[in-house]
Amino acid sequence: MGALLSPAAGGRGVTQAPILEVRHLTRLFGAGGSLAGRGLAALGLAPPPRPVRALDDVSFAVARGEVMGVVGESGCGKSTLGKIVAGLMRPSSGEVRHAGRPVPAGVPRGLDRQMIFQDPFSSLNPRKRVTDLIGEAPRVHRIVAPREVPAYVAGLMERCGIDPEYGDRFAHQFSGGQRQRIGIARALAVKPELLVCDEAVSALDVSIQAQIVNLFMDLREELGLTYLFISHDLGVVRHVADRVLVMYLGRVVESGQVEEVFDRPNHPYTRALVAAVPRLDRRRVAYAPIRGDIPSPMNPPPGCHFHPRCPLATARCRAEMPVLRTVAPGRRAACHLND
Amino acid sequence: MAPVLDIRGLRTAFATAAGDLHALDGIDLVVNRGEIVALVGESGSGKSVTGFSITGLLPAAARVTAGEVRLNGIDLRALSPAAMRSLRGRKVAMIFQDPMMTLNPVLRIDTQMTDALRAHLPLGRAEARARCAAALAEVGIDEPEARLKMYPHQLSGGMRQRVAIAIALLHSPDLVIADEPTTALDVTIQGQILAVVQRLCREKGTALVWITHDLAVVAGIADRIAVMYAGRIVEQGPVDAVLDAPRHPYTRGLIDSVPASHPKGQRLPQIPGRMPTLTELPEGCAFAPRCTRRSAACAARPDPAEAAPGRWVRCFHPLPGAGG
Ligand SMILES: Nc1ncnc2c1ncn2[C@@H]1O[C@H](COP(=O)(O)OP(=O)(O)OP(=O)(O)O)[C@@H](O)[C@H]1O
Ligand SMILES: Nc1ncnc2c1ncn2[C@@H]1O[C@H](COP(=O)(O)OP(=O)(O)O)[C@@H](O)[C@H]1O
Ligand code: SF4
Ligand code: SF4
Ligand SMILES: [Mg+2]
Ligand SMILES: [Mg+2]
Repeated sequence: MGALLSPAAGGRGVTQAPILEVRHLTRLFGAGGSLAGRGLAALGLAPPPRPVRALDDVSFAVARGEVMGVVGESGCGKSTLGKIVAGLMRPSSGEVRHAGRPVPAGVPRGLDRQMIFQDPFSSLNPRKRVTDLIGEAPRVHRIVAPREVPAYVAGLMERCGIDPEYGDRFAHQFSGGQRQRIGIARALAVKPELLVCDEAVSALDVSIQAQIVNLFMDLREELGLTYLFISHDLGVVRHVADRVLVMYLGRVVESGQVEEVFDRPNHPYTRALVAAVPRLDRRRVAYAPIRGDIPSPMNPPPGCHFHPRCPLATARCRAEMPVLRTVAPGRRAACHLND
Repeated sequence: MAPVLDIRGLRTAFATAAGDLHALDGIDLVVNRGEIVALVGESGSGKSVTGFSITGLLPAAARVTAGEVRLNGIDLRALSPAAMRSLRGRKVAMIFQDPMMTLNPVLRIDTQMTDALRAHLPLGRAEARARCAAALAEVGIDEPEARLKMYPHQLSGGMRQRVAIAIALLHSPDLVIADEPTTALDVTIQGQILAVVQRLCREKGTALVWITHDLAVVAGIADRIAVMYAGRIVEQGPVDAVLDAPRHPYTRGLIDSVPASHPKGQRLPQIPGRMPTLTELPEGCAFAPRCTRRSAACAARPDPAEAAPGRWVRCFHPLPGAGG
């Protein structure tokens, strides 16, 4: 594990235990299958339902103050990873350690890890006023003395760019960007050490996205926060993250310093992903995309999960799953080509 | 030759309790044969309403109140609903962000495609089927014969979108309006769709209006760009000119907001505030409350001015052009 802990970027030397350490995390869904499916299977009329392996043996560590990006296409397990790290979901196996201590799986979750979602609307109670949305947790958990809650909430609103005058309003009375600010203020209210941001800027228009990205970066600086920053947008991840995990069908296929990974990808999937991202400076592109769809995680291809789409696949790739291993200092990849 | 699409002074309003609210306020747009024009803007700027106004698919509460929309010289506003329906699918087609706007969830792909084909062409079943299989192959769907027998829910999102595109292109329309067709898709799948659409436009001379909020996608496929803000096109011109030397402060702000154009970790230049809703539209320049270049003059409404050949800007104080 120690080898993963390259010193965090930005000159933050790391001496203490990583704030977040994830070991061999696996999460299965629907192992039982649907009732009908199980019935048919019991009668021998259908093959037994396969569980979805949403996360498959994921391990990594994040140093205090570091931003770890997580990228990959829809269904690769990013949100599942985020929810487990934030303590909102139990893993099927494996463990999450916080500052060196194992975190008991699942509820009740610690306040030191908070999650921010893509659509803050669905996570904000529509019947509560903004001051209550933000102030409830610090009041209940005695983060500040009861008398001080209103001033504390006003301070958080101000810091996150919401006019404290609007404290009496409900979430639906705000625009998407403002709701995201409310979601951030609410997460910060319990003084977390780690924020899991799951596509937190993905639904926002680019001019609003820039505002929120700036807010995340300022808060990191001011509060020494650590982020697990999940996004399918490689441009945003490159801008905010120090290191990145590239996921495919529940597994980490590559990780390392974000510029290293995006500029000199090792894994063929990372290469394809980076090449497919449209960029402002690429004009009149002749798109030569990788073929094929992302396979169903219910029925992942044998061997390397990427082999049906990989232009470099060999017979070995169809039979044997490559292991994630160190290919350069601070750099891991899972591809047979590295042998 | 007349341009495929020629829009002049298009205004579209929604009837609301507060009276008529104009979602489009004077759109001018020309698209030539084989050309890809991107209509870019943030949500609520009026991109979809523009697409619906052209194709005659506006919701019941909305109507075009002024201006001209010409397709191959024919004034679409003068057409009866029946004539417009007959044109749609044959001469002009629309692709939506959600392919299920095109597809019927309870019908097999072959039924939907052959119906769409035979609506305008007197073809026998077998021939129609063969053409549909060919159309699927053309948008990069493997084993088209097998896919034809499937229902939409049996296909992945990317494949559904490709089927919707195949249907839109069945009659080789002169004009295709694509309203954010890749926004919900993963980048590798988006790449596949962009490749298909690009190739078909080039090969068949189809004129394409590609609606998106993603400037980077536009950079890769468009010949020209029109930037929308609050119901108006604020800037348009060739893709390189607009992206490399934007003249309108909003275009500049949009480009600057893209993280990729900045050194890592640096604060992004941000446009303060947000786009006004239809009920909050300021008099004069709608961008004024967010604009650092505004002056007293901006309380009046700026009209489009031709800053260079083919280059239109709607601003009293445009940024200097590339030459200084
Ligand atoms: N509650 C659940 N029950 C069954 N399957 C699930 C559940 N949650 C997630 N999955 C499956 O687990 C896999 C990973 O899902 P996850 O939501 O983590 O992906 P993601 O990377 O966040 O995707 P996206 O980019 O679309 O948000 C998918 O195949 C998904 O269908
Ligand atoms: N059915 C509707 N009723 C009232 N207003 C609408 C309706 N549809 C769209 N609008 C308004 O018209 C404007 C333009 O919307 P739209 O074309 O959908 O934007 P875009 O596609 O650029 O995101 C917005 O202010 C939107 O709120
Ligand atoms: S292991 Fe084989 S199939 Fe997998 S990415 Fe490497 S070369 Fe491609
Ligand atoms: S017209 Fe004035 S307010 Fe509007 S964009 Fe130009 S300078 Fe800014
Ligand atoms: Mg997710
Ligand atoms: Mg729209």
